[in-house]
Amino acid sequence: MSDPTAILLVDDEEEFVSTLAERLEIRGFESKAAYSGDQALSLIENNDYDVVVLDVKMPGMDGLEVMDQIKARRPEMPVILLTGHGSTKEGMEGMQKGAFDYLMKPLDIDELISKVQEALGGRPESG
Amino acid sequence: MNPETEKTLTFFGKMTANLTHEVKNVLAIIQESAGLMEDITAICPLAEEKYQEKFNHSMATIKQQLHRGIDLTTQFNRFAHTPDRSSAELDLVDTVGQFCLLTGRFARLKHISLTAGDPDPANEKIRLTTNPVQFYMALFFSLESCLSALTSNTEIRVIPQKRGGQSPAIEFACTGEQIPPAGEFFQQLQAAEAWGELGDVIDPLAGKVECDTNDLRFWLIF
Repeated sequence: MSDPTAILLVDDEEEFVSTLAERLEIRGFESKAAYSGDQALSLIENNDYDVVVLDVKMPGMDGLEVMDQIKARRPEMPVILLTGHGSTKEGMEGMQKGAFDYLMKPLDIDELISKVQEALGGRPESG
Repeated sequence: MNPETEKTLTFFGKMTANLTHEVKNVLAIIQESAGLMEDITAICPLAEEKYQEKFNHSMATIKQQLHRGIDLTTQFNRFAHTPDRSSAELDLVDTVGQFCLLTGRFARLKHISLTAGDPDPANEKIRLTTNPVQFYMALFFSLESCLSALTSNTEIRVIPQKRGGQSPAIEFACTGEQIPPAGEFFQQLQAAEAWGELGDVIDPLAGKVECDTNDLRFWLIF
């Protein structure tokens, strides 16, 4: 039996990201919530994640800056961006900088899971 | 539009866009929390079936209203960015859909239905480069004029199209069992304060208004 897919969720909206993490756990994923870019980078330094789901708009280091640093350390790690705006501009900019894809908040959990699967090249999403 | 007015609009646009972003965050938290409650009861249903049914019904209502709220805030966020540019290319099908969603309540208060009509599929992409704020104002004054000339149980359809196959245009078509005679309708329409304001905003947009006095409809042509 393979290990469950490990997802790091990064968003400064703590209630949102911790609840999303719980819902992913129910679906068999191993998920960890981080509430800032610094916390996310420190977790990535010490743990293995299969995918990072990252909010673009965060206080301090914004999502695109965090992604640049993730890519510098772990270029192979897929990053899915979350944008909160009606516009797709930031998501497109993120993809040009190396994000796998982007989703708009509020999001559909099934859509997130299928995006995670896509990022992993169709690998089964959970253990 | 003078620079002071533009500054004021940009300020209100920024504040409103920021607020809609916050509201979307709130909706995202409610959505995930409702989803988690649903996940938990799927694993461990409530002991009595009738309560589970009530729970499911309430959850369906929450989800339906969440989608409504998300749709409204998404469109309103886009609207709030309207003053960002004094000239922009608008997709008129998209703009009319957004306009009807955001202003539907004005019509509902008078028991009038407001819908975005389907454009002719042959020219689905109808684009216009214009001042987005003033264009919205032209749509809004047209709607207000219609509302002042109609009674309840009528319908206003807003249809983007290319007039004569060339000029981008928006048709306002009024229908329904209780519509007034055409002469009375146009008299009321043209007496409305909003109709005068429509004239003021459509001129700088190099647009014009054309009426079909037999059929209770008029066009904004650009």
